[in-house]
Amino acid sequence: MGLFQGIEQYQAPTAAYQLLPFRFTSLDQDQYVLTNLAGEYLIVDRRTLVELLHHRLSSTDPAYCDLRARHFLMDASSSIGPALLSLKLRTRYHRLAEFTGLHLFVVTLRCEHACPYCQVSRQSEDTLRYDMSPETASVALDLALRSPSQYIKIEFQGGEPLLNFGLIQFLVQEAEARNQRLGKNLAFVIATNLALINDDILRFCRDHSILISTSLDGPRDLHNANRPRPGGDSYERTIAGIARARQVLGSDRVSALMTTTEASLPRVRAIIDEYVTQGFTGIFLRPLSPYGFAIKTRSYRAYNAERWLDFYKQGVDYVIELNRRGMDFAEYYASTILKKMLTSEDPGYVDLMSPAGIGIGALVYNYDGSVYASDESRMLAEMGQEQFKLGHVLTHRYEEIISSPNLLDPLEESFAYSAPMCHDCAFEPYCGADPVLHYSLYGDYLGRKPESEFCHRNMETFRYLIRKMESDPFVKQLFMKWANR
Amino acid sequence: MKDLDKPTKSLAATFDNKVFSVIAIKKAAYKYVRVFSADITMQGEQINCQLTFSSPVSEEEGGRLVEDFKKEVLDQDLRERLKGETEAVRNVILAHAFSKTGLITDGSLSRD
Repeated sequence: MGLFQGIEQYQAPTAAYQLLPFRFTSLDQDQYVLTNLAGEYLIVDRRTLVELLHHRLSSTDPAYCDLRARHFLMDASSSIGPALLSLKLRTRYHRLAEFTGLHLFVVTLRCEHACPYCQVSRQSEDTLRYDMSPETASVALDLALRSPSQYIKIEFQGGEPLLNFGLIQFLVQEAEARNQRLGKNLAFVIATNLALINDDILRFCRDHSILISTSLDGPRDLHNANRPRPGGDSYERTIAGIARARQVLGSDRVSALMTTTEASLPRVRAIIDEYVTQGFTGIFLRPLSPYGFAIKTRSYRAYNAERWLDFYKQGVDYVIELNRRGMDFAEYYASTILKKMLTSEDPGYVDLMSPAGIGIGALVYNYDGSVYASDESRMLAEMGQEQFKLGHVLTHRYEEIISSPNLLDPLEESFAYSAPMCHDCAFEPYCGADPVLHYSLYGDYLGRKPESEFCHRNMETFRYLIRKMESDPFVKQLFMKWANR
Repeated sequence: MKDLDKPTKSLAATFDNKVFSVIAIKKAAYKYVRVFSADITMQGEQINCQLTFSSPVSEEEGGRLVEDFKKEVLDQDLRERLKGETEAVRNVILAHAFSKTGLITDGSLSRD
């Protein structure tokens, strides 16, 4: 027997504590993920969870201090818990009051590529009737600048937007002129395949601080197979365009996105290596969306969530391996989720927002003046489903557009906080509603979550990321870095 | 000895209504909607669930699924308990978090 008795001899057998609101979901057979109102998580075993909920957890239990520190319970020494949770929750949702920050202008549907999976139903290069007119563009710009957000990002999309570069110049100059009296923080992005880039365009981009977002699907053979164009030289043009754009604009002004086709699935390492070779500091491993030509050409159904998850996990494992070797390289989908898991900030990624990001996170002004709730909404419209069309720039006022039933109904009906299963799910703070995807796949805004590929893919991704960082201190440190980028 | 490979289309699970609520059982059944449909009926103090599998499963697999379902009912019961106990503080936190957004009126705040 020791000289002194342990501290537990002097404490009540069970602590007097009050539970704070939280949710829990199984991580595996015995482990549970607990998340509080602000999205902070903790892993406990089932015994601890049950003891906690029955108020039988001792204050000497190894989990007790963590549960108190992360606001799952409060006791006499931590009554500030609810106030801190409120503050974190307010931080997390601060974007809602800002309203729409991203405004997408589809300046043309024309494109010189013929990608079989293209989410935009492209039109041939010489069909001018698929260009946005200056009159339409001017009114759309007024609507974009009406947003209460102090930060307005205008992204030019297509088709291939450089085929209507004159309109981009007009819109950028008009936006800058009209913003003189508004004083908002303006940013511009051109989403381009770079095949048509030239020095005149780049000089304009440099002079007006325009960012370039391009597409790079992987090594030459994969990229060119995914993105056919006359001459079969999409990869060569993209790589040359990236190099030239970096020279003129600076490396940090050029980013790239990839699309995962069936041909990509066995080649995730080669795809990541291509991004490393081309000097990018990260990659966004994203699945194909069920819209446009992806559906028409059956590309979308070529692989299911399970195959994509295998691809994704292999990819992130490889990126972690590169970091272990000393390389600074990130996977951006993980970074987006980790920001939600490990900070009080919400990255504002439209697919992972609840209330859904449609309208609130982004508005799309189509070439013909139609306004859509998101990029995916207009892709759905190209397939004949105008469920998310909010109005027309020439016939509807701003107030009519943002209060359209085509926006408010899906927002309300898909709100995950009150959706069956999502309501109780510990991963809800990390997940999103995505009514457009559910409508396109299941015919309603919500879908049945147990049957939803979106739900399955995200739940498994969340579990995978948590397991990785809980089992490896190096990964935890790396993920903290990604979350705080 | 049981034939473990014998396909099963339907199995039953029973719960005591003094211990579990119908809501907890419905929520658990919803989670398994992809695997089986549930006919939920009351008989005295018992809640009976007849689980019909979307496609036949082996007896062993069926038994495992019923056990998983029962565990999920237990989790749902714990969630109900937690939700009830923390409802007041959750409302205070939400009201405080959104108090400066203009989304909550003074009246609704003062009620809390």
